[in-house]
Amino acid sequence: MPQNADQVLDHFELFRQPEYKDMLAKKKAEFEQPVEAEEVARVREWAKTEEYKDLNFSREALTVNPAKACQPLGAVFVAAGFEKTLPFVHGSQGCVAYYRSHFTRHFKEPTSCVSSSMTEDAAVFGGLNNMVDGLANAYNLYQPKMIAVSTTCMAEVIGDDLNAFIKTAKEKGSVPQEFDVTFAHTPAFVGSHITGYDNAMKGVLEHFWDGKAKTAEPLKRKANKKINFLGGFDGYTVGNNREIKRIFDMMNVQYTMLCDPSEVWDTPTDGEFRMYDGGTTLEDAANAIHAKATISMQQYCTEKTLPFIEAHGQEVKAFNHPVGVEATDEFIMEVARLTGVEIPEELAKERGRLVDAIADSNAHIHGKKFAIYGDPDLCYGLAKFVMELGGEPVVVLATNGGKAWAAKMQELFDSSPFGANCKAYPGKDLWHMRSLLFTEKPDFLIGNTYGKYLERDTGIPLIRIGFPIFDRHHKHRYPVWGYQGGLNVLVTILDRIFEHMDATTNVPASTDYSYDIIR
Amino acid sequence: MSVSETTDVAAVKERNRALIQEVLEVYPEKSKKRRAKHLNVHEEGNSDCGVKSNIKSIPGVMTIRGCAYAGSKGVVWGPIKDMIHISHGPVGCGQYSWAARRNYYIGTTGIDTFVTMQFTSDFQEKDIVFGGDKKLAKIMDEIQLLFPLNKGITVQSECPIGLIGDDIEAVSKSKSKEYDGKTIVPVRCEGFRGVSQSLGHHIANDAVRDWVFDKQDDKPAAFEPTPYDVAIIGDYNIGGDAWSSRILLEEMGLRVIAQWSGDGSIAELEATPKAKLNVLHCYRSMNYISRHMEEKYGIPWVEYNFFGPSKIEESLRKIASHFDDKIKEGAEAVIAKYKVLTDAVIAKYKPRLEGKKVMLYVGGLRPRHVIGAYEDLGMEVVGTGYEFGHNDDYQRTAQHYVKDGTLIYDDVTGYEFEKFVEKVQPDLVGSGIKEKYVFQKMGVPFRQMHSWDYSGPYHGYDGFAIFARDMDMAINSPVWKMAPTPWKQGPED
Amino acid sequence: MSLRQIAFYGKGGIGKSTTSQNTLAALADLGQRILIVGCDPKADSTRLMLHAKAQDTILSLAAEAGSVEDLELEDVMKIGYKDIRCVESGGPEPGVGCAGRGVITSINFLEENGAYDDIDYVSYDVLGDVVCGGFAMPIRENKAQEIYIVMSGEMMAMYAANNISKGILKYANSGGVRLGGLICNERQTDKELELAENLAKKLGTELIHFVPRDNIVQHAELRRMTVIEYAPDSNQANEYRQLAQKIHDNAGKGIIPTPISMDELEDMLMEHGIMKAIDETQVGLTAEQLAV
Repeated sequence: MPQNADQVLDHFELFRQPEYKDMLAKKKAEFEQPVEAEEVARVREWAKTEEYKDLNFSREALTVNPAKACQPLGAVFVAAGFEKTLPFVHGSQGCVAYYRSHFTRHFKEPTSCVSSSMTEDAAVFGGLNNMVDGLANAYNLYQPKMIAVSTTCMAEVIGDDLNAFIKTAKEKGSVPQEFDVTFAHTPAFVGSHITGYDNAMKGVLEHFWDGKAKTAEPLKRKANKKINFLGGFDGYTVGNNREIKRIFDMMNVQYTMLCDPSEVWDTPTDGEFRMYDGGTTLEDAANAIHAKATISMQQYCTEKTLPFIEAHGQEVKAFNHPVGVEATDEFIMEVARLTGVEIPEELAKERGRLVDAIADSNAHIHGKKFAIYGDPDLCYGLAKFVMELGGEPVVVLATNGGKAWAAKMQELFDSSPFGANCKAYPGKDLWHMRSLLFTEKPDFLIGNTYGKYLERDTGIPLIRIGFPIFDRHHKHRYPVWGYQGGLNVLVTILDRIFEHMDATTNVPASTDYSYDIIR
Repeated sequence: MSVSETTDVAAVKERNRALIQEVLEVYPEKSKKRRAKHLNVHEEGNSDCGVKSNIKSIPGVMTIRGCAYAGSKGVVWGPIKDMIHISHGPVGCGQYSWAARRNYYIGTTGIDTFVTMQFTSDFQEKDIVFGGDKKLAKIMDEIQLLFPLNKGITVQSECPIGLIGDDIEAVSKSKSKEYDGKTIVPVRCEGFRGVSQSLGHHIANDAVRDWVFDKQDDKPAAFEPTPYDVAIIGDYNIGGDAWSSRILLEEMGLRVIAQWSGDGSIAELEATPKAKLNVLHCYRSMNYISRHMEEKYGIPWVEYNFFGPSKIEESLRKIASHFDDKIKEGAEAVIAKYKVLTDAVIAKYKPRLEGKKVMLYVGGLRPRHVIGAYEDLGMEVVGTGYEFGHNDDYQRTAQHYVKDGTLIYDDVTGYEFEKFVEKVQPDLVGSGIKEKYVFQKMGVPFRQMHSWDYSGPYHGYDGFAIFARDMDMAINSPVWKMAPTPWKQGPED
Repeated sequence: MSLRQIAFYGKGGIGKSTTSQNTLAALADLGQRILIVGCDPKADSTRLMLHAKAQDTILSLAAEAGSVEDLELEDVMKIGYKDIRCVESGGPEPGVGCAGRGVITSINFLEENGAYDDIDYVSYDVLGDVVCGGFAMPIRENKAQEIYIVMSGEMMAMYAANNISKGILKYANSGGVRLGGLICNERQTDKELELAENLAKKLGTELIHFVPRDNIVQHAELRRMTVIEYAPDSNQANEYRQLAQKIHDNAGKGIIPTPISMDELEDMLMEHGIMKAIDETQVGLTAEQLAV
């Protein structure tokens, strides 16, 4: 009996004991009718070849291990970032269980969200009653200041009309007439979670700026000196938004952060559960129309929102998830230009410290080859930073990237000798990535938690940057934006490189000579 | 004095009833009426818990339930390791459920095993408008080309499939014919069907019946049958649960010819009708196929409970009663062998856990099955409820598990659960990932009772030791003492 | 003048797209700049304008290109008679997919790509009944303001007209959609005019025009032309011109319809002798039983 009360063995050790190993071997041999080991080995090797890669890339219908989620997830993200706002997803209820679990596993924080729980009868007769009852229940139970409605694919296929439904619900007294209910249609079969972010954000601004679905006068813009800040769908929103606020405060910039979930996804354990915390106030969301300009940190998260804002008379500027020295320089200088402030000396010092750190460490990164995947903007930001460090991106892949993104990536690669051997792969998935890792043989892979399967299959060390990160804790608390953020990314990359060096030089009397104490 | 220290049963009942009234107050009239039927205080001697169940959730209340797709793909079919399960429809459903359930298995992932992968048809607008059948057919061709060692395919329908009227059965049949009778299983588990995961289990069970069993009728077993052949039904091998159960069955002299569905294979599914007895752990999700096998193949089935030594002992004897003396003696030998371990575990952990109060809210079998394990450690379950139970679950709960005065909450809403815990002040809450941090913020120790909080196994004697360790770790962690801010505490606190 | 958005609904086969195209051609003659959005998977709402069998639809082009985001407005928009802009939403073959979703997709695409800029009229030509949410897309808020129902004196056409009114009523309170009126396309059934006027009254609207039957319409159709273009001096062309003028003058005069119950409708049909009163004692009896 391997188990023992003094030293309890759990799954890590228990199943490696001989009793269990024998049992499992017998199970396989006698009952599983397994494929012959040689055949498994043959196919495993074949799946590493160029031939397999070509077949893999000839796929037209099947998607395997995509690096993207669906629209409503992005809409829930947006809702979480407004003051006392309850995300309400109209459609099947199982979807909401999934969004809540997904965010909770990443942030290790509760995620509140309700569903209108549509079932088979609603599929036939439409979901109006679900909206009417759902808004009333949500309003009474959870006392939100605003409800932000989005849709699952079920409601989209049957063609439910949110605008009309919400109006009817208000007429029936589900919520008070003047209560803010924003909405966005977010079909899961169009785009990805970043599209959902875009639609939901535009929905909120349309509501406040353009007359609350014809129940109020549209706002008239009176330009002020503020700027609006849009972070986009961002797994680092807790750390990033705090860092951006710190930078803006340091620069004496007046700003409105449109969508700020950094409080609600980082509440204290002190005996009280805060269902809502922080977030952009509704007043600020409305007054954001008067801002001088709006900055988006992620172009591909705001493709509809930014033109909408621009049409209201503001100057707009989109970045691509700026990481590192040059990208942050551009961001800081643009903020300074738009607001007419001077960049404080302290920021110059922070910048200098990041450059200093790069100077200290870049020798370990120089010439190393990287494969990167993630959301389109994050890919851009990371690829640019890797090149800044002297690394060479060779594969950059975004399942939710399009042709325009690929062209923009190519421009970036062309701008540096370190990008000479790199190619962007729009619309491809992580099974494509697997083939590329075998054939392009990069030294490191940058991606989210799902990359650990690639690491296992290919032996290429994974550097965890992206969303979701389920199997490492608290990464979302550390910014990747600003010079401090750049430092965090640098350290994350370096740590993995050093760990890998040690792990591959630690066999006594064999590879021990490079096992250095000073690096 | 905290309310949780109340020991008088009558007082507990009164408090619980008042608590139910209190949470109902907040609902609009129509919803209040509906929710009232799902909340109750258990009365000893009653044949069920006195709550309605398996009814539609109310819109907007933050139900914890999932959908039929989750029940089929996530629970029943997903763990069958050598088949490829296509999440058929938009990308999200498969993405959020990708490898999240810890159904342990052994195999070469991506080559002959596919559990922790996400295969999807990633529906686009054009697939909705023009229908997805042609795409599905092409997907099957591409699977055959790129994953040649797969032993079968299932099609797990997401919401749009049923709405746009795709004929996935026709595609499956024609492709099966094209690939020499390959097992291809269309599953109509669209998320809007039914009221929870539960219908998905049923639909998935029926799909096994129609698309696996009915094809197999004349095929002989690939192994020599013995009188001691059993199949484990309804164990998903979360954290290795089915393995720490299997080892006990084998030690008592039985031969496990199939595992459903954790670490399961298509060959095991196909061989199950050759079993002499089906042993059923998760009644809720797999009673359907067990009843079918009883009717069609004459295989009896027996429910068992492998949480905690009391229930394990009872279950081993119950299973053995279906066999000859050799097995009965085997069961006694197993019980005796592990007595040393369980005594040591109880001696170590009971003093640390004695008298602690637990509130549960889980799915499947766990709202009742784990109660015995807590009681073995001297703990008391003061509230429990099912995410997607039916009345037969509540009957079993009332008749064999809960104590007089236990607070019962079916399909609890986020609001109700939070209020209940706030007022009852248990020492531990056992529920899911969505609930975990809500209660931890409140300073209440918590264990996820779906995923074992990334620990496990919890089944069997080996699992009980881990269970005890984990509950102790949760309740007696130094962190909870630090939750209140010291300078904000009054002198009495 | 601000953009007028109108829609033609009606039972299939009633002559809806013929009526709408002739009317719109006449409106174009009045100098109006027009966009036609065909919302019928058959894609036959613009062929008389284009002298074509059927133009490439948004959805078929999107399916070819990958997604609707890959399309440009020029790809889907054709220019026909008197510079009328023509777009067909398209959709699946009968029995597959979701045509209603196709309508939503197409209209969203057109709006986002500026198809509604610099025109005076958008006209949606919608398949049959309001069968699902997708086919109600043109009557949602900020879409069509007036719906014109094409009908005739036939029983099923009247049923459909009443059903479409129910659809309009559903959206009329929350959105701004109104019933513009009925257009009766003569089928030469008994008391057709009287019946149409009566139905209009019950629905709270007016019979905006009674279009007489004339074979010249078929002659023009054979040449894939409107009568307005084929025989501009004919009586029939004049009828369509009158209808066009009435619609043009009808801006803002739409009403919220008052659809009637099935029983009321059947009573009305019986009153006019279109439906025979049912002898309840005979219901469910076979021919043999009745012969006794």
